[in-house]
Amino acid sequence: MTVLKANGVEREVDAGTRTLLAVLRDSLGLVGVKEGCGIGVCGTCTVLVDGEPISSCLMLAAQAAGQDIVTIEGLAREGQLHPIQQAFIEQGAFQCAYCTPGFVLSAVALLAENPSPSADEIREYLSGNLCRCGSHLNIAQAVIAVSQSDGL
Amino acid sequence: MAIGESVPMLDSAARVTGAVQYMVNLQLPNMLVGKIVRSSVPHARLVRVDASRAEKVPGVVAVLSGADLGPQAIYGVAIKDQPVVALDRVRFVGEPVAAIAAESAEATEEAASLVEIKYEELPTVFDALAAIQPDAPVLHDPFPNNIFKHAKLRHGDLEAALAAADEIFEDTFTSPPAQQASLEPHVTAAQWHSDRLTVWTASQAPFMVRKVLAEIFGLAPEAVRVIVPSLGGGYGGKGHVRIEPIVAALARKTGGRPVKVVLSRTEEFVTVTKHAATITLKTGMRRDGTFAARRVTIYWNGGAYADASPLLVPAGMVRSVGPYRIPVVWADSYGVYTNLPPAGAYRGAMSSQTTWAYESQMDIIARKMGWDPVEFRLKNLLRSGEQFATGETLHDVHFAECLEAAVRGLEPHPPPPGAQRRVRVGEVRRGRGFAVMMKSTVAASKSQARLQLSAGGVLTLFTSTVEMGQGTHTALAQIAADAVGVPLSVVHVVGPDTAITPFDSTTSASRSTSMMGSAVMVAGKELRNKLIALSVPILEAPAEVLKAEHGHVAGPTESIAYADVLRHHGLATLEASGEYATTFGIDPESGQGVSTPHWHQGAGATEVEVDVETGKVTVLRYAAASFAGRVVNPRLAQLQNDGNVIYGLGPALFEEIIFDGGQAINPNLSDYMIPSFRDIPFELKSLCLESEEGELHGIGEMTLPPVAPAIANAIEDAVGVRIKDLPITAEKVLRALREKEG
Repeated sequence: MTVLKANGVEREVDAGTRTLLAVLRDSLGLVGVKEGCGIGVCGTCTVLVDGEPISSCLMLAAQAAGQDIVTIEGLAREGQLHPIQQAFIEQGAFQCAYCTPGFVLSAVALLAENPSPSADEIREYLSGNLCRCGSHLNIAQAVIAVSQSDGL
Repeated sequence: MAIGESVPMLDSAARVTGAVQYMVNLQLPNMLVGKIVRSSVPHARLVRVDASRAEKVPGVVAVLSGADLGPQAIYGVAIKDQPVVALDRVRFVGEPVAAIAAESAEATEEAASLVEIKYEELPTVFDALAAIQPDAPVLHDPFPNNIFKHAKLRHGDLEAALAAADEIFEDTFTSPPAQQASLEPHVTAAQWHSDRLTVWTASQAPFMVRKVLAEIFGLAPEAVRVIVPSLGGGYGGKGHVRIEPIVAALARKTGGRPVKVVLSRTEEFVTVTKHAATITLKTGMRRDGTFAARRVTIYWNGGAYADASPLLVPAGMVRSVGPYRIPVVWADSYGVYTNLPPAGAYRGAMSSQTTWAYESQMDIIARKMGWDPVEFRLKNLLRSGEQFATGETLHDVHFAECLEAAVRGLEPHPPPPGAQRRVRVGEVRRGRGFAVMMKSTVAASKSQARLQLSAGGVLTLFTSTVEMGQGTHTALAQIAADAVGVPLSVVHVVGPDTAITPFDSTTSASRSTSMMGSAVMVAGKELRNKLIALSVPILEAPAEVLKAEHGHVAGPTESIAYADVLRHHGLATLEASGEYATTFGIDPESGQGVSTPHWHQGAGATEVEVDVETGKVTVLRYAAASFAGRVVNPRLAQLQNDGNVIYGLGPALFEEIIFDGGQAINPNLSDYMIPSFRDIPFELKSLCLESEEGELHGIGEMTLPPVAPAIANAIEDAVGVRIKDLPITAEKVLRALREKEG
C-alpha cells in the first residue's frame, strides 16, 4: 500500500502500476480531474504535485508518495473559492468547463512562480492546457485580473 | 430584464471547482465497464467471430457480437444501413465487431484481446471521387454507385446564363476529414429493467437517440428513457446517434446490470469525423462585376454508413451557394460511401467546407477582374427582400453589416507589444483577407418547453435542450425569467430527460436560442395568462385590466404576488407549456422552397504574416462579426464568437485526420493538433450585431466558416499564391511559393 497526501489528507491506496489520475478518480473520489488525451499533451488531467503542474495521466501514483498533491477540490478555503476560481467566474473564463480544473491549477502554479506574468508569458505557460470551446481570451483575462501585472 | 445581461453561467461555481457531473463521473449501483472490440481491416466479410475464450475471462459478464442480433439491429437516422455491431461484414477500420461488459476495465481489456475474428478481406475505396467510378467496390448493394444521397438545386437556365457570361471561373477546393475533438469523449451508460431501457449519454439529440433505440429494440418510444447531463463539448460530434445502440445492446445481456462505455481518444477518431469534401464552383461573371450564374458540384465523403449525411448533404447544398446575388444557380450535392469512419456534423456543419470554397473563389474572381475584395463583396451581397437561389425571399439579413464590422475591426493601429517579441528569421510579408458566410438552420424542427411555478416562488424550466458549454441553460433561464416576469435568481433548469422534459428535435445548427427560446416565451405568456385568470376572483377585476409582471398580478388598485395567487387557490404548482415549430422544406428535385426559418450570418477579417523562406503562416489579427438578432447574454455570445474563430484556426491551418489504407494514423492529440494558446492571434475581437426587429438568432457557428478562406485570401494578398486544399500547412504554402518562382 502507498500513502498519498491529496489536498492535505493522507490516505492509503493500492497504487500498483496505476496512474495518479486513475487513483485520484477511482480510489480517492477526486473526480474533478479528468482524462482528455491520455498521453500528457492536453492538460485536462493537470494536478499540482509539490506545487508543480503535472499531467496525472503520465505519472504513476506511487511516484507521488510523500509529495503534496493538490487537485481542483483542494483549492477552496473555508468555503471561499480561490481567487483564480473567482476570477474565472468573473471573467467568464470557461464554456463546457471540462478543461477548467486543469487551467485553474496551471494558473495557480504560474502565479506562484511569476506573480506578474506578461501576456506572452501567460500564453506560453498555459499553452499546455487545451480548450476546445475557445475560451482562451477570457482565461488570460482571469489570470491578469489576479496577477500583479498590468496585462502587458 | 434578464435578457441582455452578461450574467455568469448558472452553475459557474461547479464549473470552476470541477463539480460538474459529466457522464464520465456517472456511477450506478452494480455498474459494469464496457468496451468495444473493433475491426482492424477496412472492408471484409466476417467469416467468424469467436468470443468463447473472452467469455471465460474472470470478471467478464457479457460479450456481444452480431450473433446476438437480428436484422432489425440495422439502424440509421434516414437510411437504415448501420449494424449495431457488425453482422456479416465490416466496412471501416474501427467498426464495432463485439463488445464486452465486465467488472473491471482490466477484464474488458484482456477479454477484448481474446475475441477471435476471422476476416475475408474485400477490395476497398477511401476517396469519394474514386468510389463513384464504375469499377469501384460497392459498400451497400442498394447503392451500386456508392452515392446514397443526391441533392439538387435548379434555379434558372444555367446553360444560357453561362453562355451569356463575360468570364467563367472554374475552381475545385478540398477539405480533409477532421475530428470534432471535444475534450470529453463519447460516453454512454445503459440499463434494462425487463423491457424498459434507460440510457444516460453525452448526446446532443436525446429524442433522436430515443427514437432510434425504440426502433432497434422494437419498443414504444416511451419505454426508452434518455437522460443527458452537461456535456464537455459537442461541436456536432455528439449529434444524432453514436454509441448508444451498441451500449444498449450490450446492457441487454448483463441480467439488468448497468454498463458504461467511455471511448478512448483513439476511438473518438473512428466514431465520427468531419466530411471530407471536394467542391467545384463554375461561376459566370458579367463585365460589370455582377454574377451571371453559378454551378456547384460537391462530393461529400460520408464514410461507410450514411449516418446523418442524408440530412446534411441537402443542407450542405443550400449552404454552398454563398450570400451573393446570383440569378441562376444549379447545384448537385452527392453523399458518397467509402471505407472510412462515418462522417457527421462538425461545428458550422457543411458550411465550413462550402464557405472555404465560395469565399476563396470570391477573391480569385475579384483579383482577376480588378476589384477590391471588400468592395466586390459589398456590391454583390444579398440584402433583405431579395430572392435566394431556393426561391425564398430573405428577411433580416445583414451580411454587408457583418462584413463591414469585421473590416472595421482591422483598422490600422500599432501592433500590440506582445507581437513585437516574435522571433523572425528571413523575409516575412503581411496580407489581409476577408470572408462572409451564410448558413441555414434546420428547416423543419420543433421545440417544446414546460414552465412550472411553485407556491414557494421557484420557476422551473423543463427543457430537452442540451447544455454543452454554450451556456444555453443560462440563456434560456434568462428568457424564462423575462417571459414570466420573475427575477433570474428564482429560475431553475431541469433536463434533458425524455421521461420528464418535453420534446426537442436536437441541440444543433445554432437553433436552441431561437427555437427553444421561442417555446419558452410561448410558455411564459401562457403562464402569465393562467396567473391572471386565477387572480380575477382575488382582485375582483376583469382579466382584461390585469397585468402579470415583476412577480405580481396587478389590477387598477391592488396587486398580488404570484406565489400568493397559488396559495390562495391551494395550488402547490402552476404549469404552462409552449411549443415552437417550423415546417419549411425544399422540393427534392428542384431545390426550390424555404430552406430555413432564418439565415445565419457571419464574417471575418484577418491580417496574416507569411514567412517566404519556410511557408509558415502566422495569424496576427482577426476580427469577426456575427448577426445575433437580439443578444440574450453578451458575454456568452462573445465566448461563442471568439471560440468559433479559435476552433476554426485548427481546420484552417493544421487539422486533418490522415488515413493510410483506411487506418487513421494520427488518432491522438499529439499527432492531430488542435489550437492552443500559441496559435491564437494576439489581437482577436468579435462582435454580435443586433437588429431592431429583435428576432432571436443562434450564434453558435457563424464566425467559424470564414476563418479558413479569410486566411487563404490574406495569404494570396501577402505573397500571391492561392491554396485550394485545406489545411493550409507551411509545406503547401512553401510548395506554392516555389512553383510560383518556377
